[in-house]
Amino acid sequence: MTNLRTIKIEMNLKRFTVSLLGLMLLVSLLSPLTPAASAQGLPVYGFVQGLWGGFLHERNPVPSEYSASEVRLQLKLEEYSGGAEFFARTDFVYDDISDDQYNWELREGYVKFTLFNYVDFKVGRQISTWGTGDLIFINDVFAKDYESFFSGRDDQYLKAPQTSLRVEYYSPYGTFSVVWTPEFTPNRIPDGMRFSYFNPMVGDFVGGEPFVLMARQPESTWENSETAFRYQNSVSGWALALYGYRGFYKNPVGFDPMAMMPYYPRLNVYGASVRGQFSGGILWVEGGYFDSRGDSDGDNPFVPNSELQGLVGYERQVATNLTANIQYQAQYMLDHDKYVASQMGGATEDELRSLITSRLTKTLKLETIVLSSFIFYSPSDEDVYYRFNVDWKYSDNMTLTLGGNLFDGTSGATEFGAFMLNDNLYGKVTYGF
Amino acid sequence: MKKLRTLLVFVLANALGLMAFSNANAQEKDPTEIMKKSHMAYYYAADDGVAEVNMSIVNDKGKERNRRFTMLRLDQADGGDQKYYTYFYEPSDVKRLTFMVHKSAAGNDKRWIYVPAVDLIKPIAADDKNSSFVGSNFTYEDVSGRLWTEDTHTLMKEDELNGSAVWVIESKPKDAGYGGFARKVSYISKENYLPLREEYYNDKDELIRVFTAEKVEVIDQIPTVTLRKMTDEKKGQYTTVQFSSIKYNQGIKDEVFTERFLKNPPREFVK
Repeated sequence: MTNLRTIKIEMNLKRFTVSLLGLMLLVSLLSPLTPAASAQGLPVYGFVQGLWGGFLHERNPVPSEYSASEVRLQLKLEEYSGGAEFFARTDFVYDDISDDQYNWELREGYVKFTLFNYVDFKVGRQISTWGTGDLIFINDVFAKDYESFFSGRDDQYLKAPQTSLRVEYYSPYGTFSVVWTPEFTPNRIPDGMRFSYFNPMVGDFVGGEPFVLMARQPESTWENSETAFRYQNSVSGWALALYGYRGFYKNPVGFDPMAMMPYYPRLNVYGASVRGQFSGGILWVEGGYFDSRGDSDGDNPFVPNSELQGLVGYERQVATNLTANIQYQAQYMLDHDKYVASQMGGATEDELRSLITSRLTKTLKLETIVLSSFIFYSPSDEDVYYRFNVDWKYSDNMTLTLGGNLFDGTSGATEFGAFMLNDNLYGKVTYGF
Repeated sequence: MKKLRTLLVFVLANALGLMAFSNANAQEKDPTEIMKKSHMAYYYAADDGVAEVNMSIVNDKGKERNRRFTMLRLDQADGGDQKYYTYFYEPSDVKRLTFMVHKSAAGNDKRWIYVPAVDLIKPIAADDKNSSFVGSNFTYEDVSGRLWTEDTHTLMKEDELNGSAVWVIESKPKDAGYGGFARKVSYISKENYLPLREEYYNDKDELIRVFTAEKVEVIDQIPTVTLRKMTDEKKGQYTTVQFSSIKYNQGIKDEVFTERFLKNPPREFVK
């Protein structure tokens, strides 16, 4: 056992060295190219990034001791002609932890154009964001990537791309937006291979091949497409918005007892938000009704009950170069008594789940050093997720980052408690060109 | 009776206006009036403007960082509200990022940033106008201007600076709690009212920052400071800002300064 472990560490170290060498090679190759490329106005740019992270718990039941070990090349290409904009952003990744070590993904690839002066179209692979919350989402039912989020990848990776059609109409009465996604795009959540999770059926934290979370996706049919809608207007300096979503839960929160498999139940969301300046800072309030279509009565034990969600947040600059915010979110389960009855003694969720978050950002030395900390704390679930990072912008091209993701809780059955063996620290080197 | 009173007021106002006009020369000794004209010349040239900006930030070890962006400005009223739009080209990690300010003469500016990688529009809670603009030695207030009415001004002397006749004016903030400076000495060109040099002192009367207009060019008949420098005297850092491809009165529409154009840059001005 000890031997195997030593060999594994040695192998990992070897891979680490190989990745590092690869990164250095790429950087040295690209450096002399950079001035020439920009001089010619070549529209290709991007970054090379190495990310390495390790777990803090010995007994995290996942195959690797590393939470991340990857080298990423991101290339961006843009072209504007004939009134249309083309944009592509592609990642090429060498990932030591993933099964397919060499991988690539089209993060964005779209064309944008305007018709009839006031209607903007964006067609293709794209990332969509709306709503007011800071890292918490009610009416933003677009795909997220929590595996990236927990592993120290850049913030941009929290949002996963969807292949969609976006139409926005700017009228004197406000802005109407529709994002239509023909094929359901789920969240990317820890599935047991990189990060462990709490499996209620096993009653323990699990990870590795036998526990890879598999879920059944909705079939690709017209009926199963996702539609998100927003209406936005500004009233005396306050940005007001109404939202609607028709689709599915983005996490596999349903369970099919016949197939013994998790799946994505139907979901509609209706909500509203308001955001504006208040007392020298920014105040936001958002609410939504989560209509769980597969469990309208709340008595189906295998499908979540409908919910009301609300959040309020406030951000302000508390000192020069120091910004702080605080948010409170409440999730109120409808028909909680029926849920309790249907779980037959196994109910784990409270009627009211509350969450408090706070972000602190401090910049030093003319913004070349950025200290950032974000805490999620749920008083009702008694769990915590704390993330922090220090960015040092060594030059316009080179950034060094150190950071960590820490989880804690009293039970594995809660949102962050489920990941409590995944505490990790990471280091990241980014070279932009 | 009411009509008569209205007429009287009208005549009186006219007479006052006439007096003000005939006294124009004498008023040039009025430091507040000079600072107002200077503010207009520097921050409110023409009705709108577009420029490409190259910013170079040099730290105390001589290490240089660069930012390149296009800046659009639209005046709502001379000396009043303004709108700014910025599109970044460099460094590459902020390319395509846009930034917008609705500057309010009443004092509550609004700022938004658009982060294209996550399609996120975020209002910025930035109460403090003395925080650094994109990591440079210029503050937000340096970029969009501090209203002349916020300070009391004294004409110290008339002098020459690098061959230009100048008024030397001392300004002290009316608000005792203001943190940007305790005292500012401005050298205002008699020829075109542009500030050629500004010295900022802290409450211990130590020189903290110096602004210099390194180059003035006449563009579309408007004298414009095309090379600006801000030096942090205490830290030994400085930032230079080079304006190029300057164009005035482009008929920039008000709608450019909205969320729509934050997400979709106006291509007639942005490459």
